[in-house]
Amino acid sequence: MDTMYYGDILVVDLDSGKTGQVEFERQMLEQSGPGLASGMALLREHVEGEPLVLGSGLLTGTTAPASCLGFALGASPVTGEPAVAPLSQYAGSEMKLSGFSMVVIKGKSAKPVYLWLHDGVADIVDASKLAGKDTWETTDAIRSDMGEHLIQVISTGPAGESGSRLASFSINYWGSGDTAGLGAVMGEKNLKAVALRGLGMLDAEEPLEFYHGTLELLSGSPAEKGFKATCAAVKAYDIDGWLKPLVHRYRSCFACPHACNTFVKYNEDHGVIDSTGVEEPGLLITGAAAPLWLQRGGWEVEPACRALEALCREGMDVVRGARELAGTPLNDAAEIRAAVKGLGGTEDAGWPADNDISYTGLFGPWVPPLSEEDGWVEANRAGYVLGICPAYILLSGIDVSRLFELCSPAAGIELDAGRIAEMFA
Amino acid sequence: MRVKVKPLSCTGCALCETACGFHWDEAFSLISSSILLYRAEEKKNYMGVIVKTDEDLFIGRPEGAQELKLGEVHKQGAGGGASAKPILIREACDMCESAGVEPQCVAICPHGALYLE
Repeated sequence: MDTMYYGDILVVDLDSGKTGQVEFERQMLEQSGPGLASGMALLREHVEGEPLVLGSGLLTGTTAPASCLGFALGASPVTGEPAVAPLSQYAGSEMKLSGFSMVVIKGKSAKPVYLWLHDGVADIVDASKLAGKDTWETTDAIRSDMGEHLIQVISTGPAGESGSRLASFSINYWGSGDTAGLGAVMGEKNLKAVALRGLGMLDAEEPLEFYHGTLELLSGSPAEKGFKATCAAVKAYDIDGWLKPLVHRYRSCFACPHACNTFVKYNEDHGVIDSTGVEEPGLLITGAAAPLWLQRGGWEVEPACRALEALCREGMDVVRGARELAGTPLNDAAEIRAAVKGLGGTEDAGWPADNDISYTGLFGPWVPPLSEEDGWVEANRAGYVLGICPAYILLSGIDVSRLFELCSPAAGIELDAGRIAEMFA
Repeated sequence: MRVKVKPLSCTGCALCETACGFHWDEAFSLISSSILLYRAEEKKNYMGVIVKTDEDLFIGRPEGAQELKLGEVHKQGAGGGASAKPILIREACDMCESAGVEPQCVAICPHGALYLE
């Protein structure tokens, strides 16, 4: 039977520098559950190796709406507990198509390395020349070395290499929703990056039934741009209006009708649409919380965006970093970079919203508090199992049971809210 | 009638590519489609959409659309940039006629960036 996954479980032992593969058996999908549920089972199985587990959801990489989501799972140095961070943008879908269903990275390398996953092949590559490089330099170097600009690079920056409390892995240039310090876990392992390229193919159990089911869901889905809906839902300031003088274009994560990611240009006119301008015109803002903290702190929009870029380059959590910076607005680019390098990680992650919730346990505030806490947790659980962005689930108002109905034609698996709750019990 | 692109409406979700790949393979991948999301210049946020037909490429660049005969593509450097399977060696768009449905890339685009003309 087809399972909508492609390839084995990869086990990487950084202590020995060796890799091994274990069949991703249907039994594991059925007993543990897909996506994050399988990831948690692997985390428990390999706990002695202090693993970082990467994977994707059952529907990741398909035409299901917002099926962009993969995950990174490990013990958070911030909380001491297991925590998950999203592989969004194109990283989740490339993970799904990389030729490995799940990846377990154990131990610690004696020297800096990066993991290169492609076509079911795993290479541990010397990354000595990348040590100390920021996430932008690291992404450029790996893509240049491999001659492929569509490679997704999950990297740790100087913050992760130095064990900063603010460390957060970055997806390509744009930071991530890692508020748990998994970037520091990568640094501790001497794992500079995981590079992904997905050329695989996902087969469904009942492909036409599955495909037409996804089209029905998409046809009823709102297609919006920017953070307006998010800000309205969390009763926060309209950050879109604040960013507007710099906005270039909005970008979706893979398969998402809601293009919330917002590209701002501040090193050239934001209206420039061709590719002849400066090499690094600006930044893709992938979440509303960090700019909201800076706006509330009295920052002007352009220096605020430069601060977010500096946080991304250092491999720092943009949300906690912005919250720490918020009270001392700056304008000078050099002063901003220096201030970012001096951050100590004194603030908690969260949203500058009246209806914010407590963020304990597995999930961080990457997903806005778009519902009461119980509903927020349920959306995170369903999202990470299915591979559907939980923020999309909450914002779109999609009937989650209709997403569960896709699991049978996808892989012959029956899922519902009760079964999901059991996986996380 | 052919598939055309309004590139500035595109948000880069790749649903068009994924649906087209499904049309050819009845599976999900990003290497089979006749339509390609150009996203190789990520730091510049420069993206567009390319559609291959039997005769030409419809190239939807942000600064303007262009129809380029297949023989001219190499001269113009418009092969889609970095791709593991360049668009020139992929199947040409058949408007989904072989499946008896409307062009799936147009039907699935959430932002109306693709249209028929």
